Amino acid sequence: MAGTEDDNDDDIREDDTESVETTGKNVEEAIDDALDELGLERHEVTIEVLAAGRAGLFGIGGEPARVRVSRVSFEDPEGEDVAFAQETLETMLGLLEIEATVTMRAPETPGDGVGLMKAVLDVHGEDLGVLIGRRGSSLSSLQYLLNLIVSRRFKHNKPFAVDVEGYRRRREEELEDMAFQAAERVRRTGKPVTLEPMPPNERRIVHLSLSKDPTVETASVGQGDARKVSIHTLR
Amino acid sequence: MKELVEFLARSIVEDPDAVEVEVEEGQDGDWVVYHLYVADNDMGKVIGKQGRIANAMRTLLKIAATRRDIRVSLDIGD
Repeated sequence: MAGTEDDNDDDIREDDTESVETTGKNVEEAIDDALDELGLERHEVTIEVLAAGRAGLFGIGGEPARVRVSRVSFEDPEGEDVAFAQETLETMLGLLEIEATVTMRAPETPGDGVGLMKAVLDVHGEDLGVLIGRRGSSLSSLQYLLNLIVSRRFKHNKPFAVDVEGYRRRREEELEDMAFQAAERVRRTGKPVTLEPMPPNERRIVHLSLSKDPTVETASVGQGDARKVSIHTLR
Repeated sequence: MKELVEFLARSIVEDPDAVEVEVEEGQDGDWVVYHLYVADNDMGKVIGKQGRIANAMRTLLKIAATRRDIRVSLDIGD
């Protein structure tokens, strides 16, 4: 639902932003409640952790977790480079003899590369696991080559993200859950937790998902393929 | 698959007219080698730092090859 040129500033656009604050036993519960209240899914919102919460001893002295969850709306991407990227990807899929369709949308989440990526190209079709590969390796190659080709014609452009049947979104949600759970454990035990090695885009998701949590801090440690995120307390 | 190599190479080099792909097939048709030739100045463009571009092309070729149940490799230059 992109706005038209004639949009008046005085127009009331009710569905533009909606926001709720909720509390829960932990961050996860508070987020789930907020999503229920808004009737939205995780990828349609931004999440701010206002208070991480603390479990009390024998139910005494605990503190609830508090989050603010807001709906976000996005304009559809357009332009010559967007059309060229879509065409190029369709050509590549055609040459791979893969039957699929490609649609374009604005990046919405850290996993989509919001702020980094120009747009997300979603590939839809049946049996596309082969396009994803082990841990998304084929998808990475596809995205890398597409951007190489697009950047030849449109220099200094933001790159495009490619997703296949929602793979990146699912992986992002997994990583966020992993990050929230690890943060919970760090708070409970006071000991740092180090996650498994991840590529840069996945580490970025972990950093961002905990960046607003006032009780923990994240850092990347290690070199190259072995680089991983470590989470520790800030108190 | 030859067309795929040609398309990718021509889309990233400075001199697309110089791109040539030779196909070498095994007798039983269970393997194929693609020999990619480009202008000398474009060698870096199709190989990339630490072979990153060439490896990405190999990954895409592998996608196509898996579906046909053959083995495939990509050689660049001589």
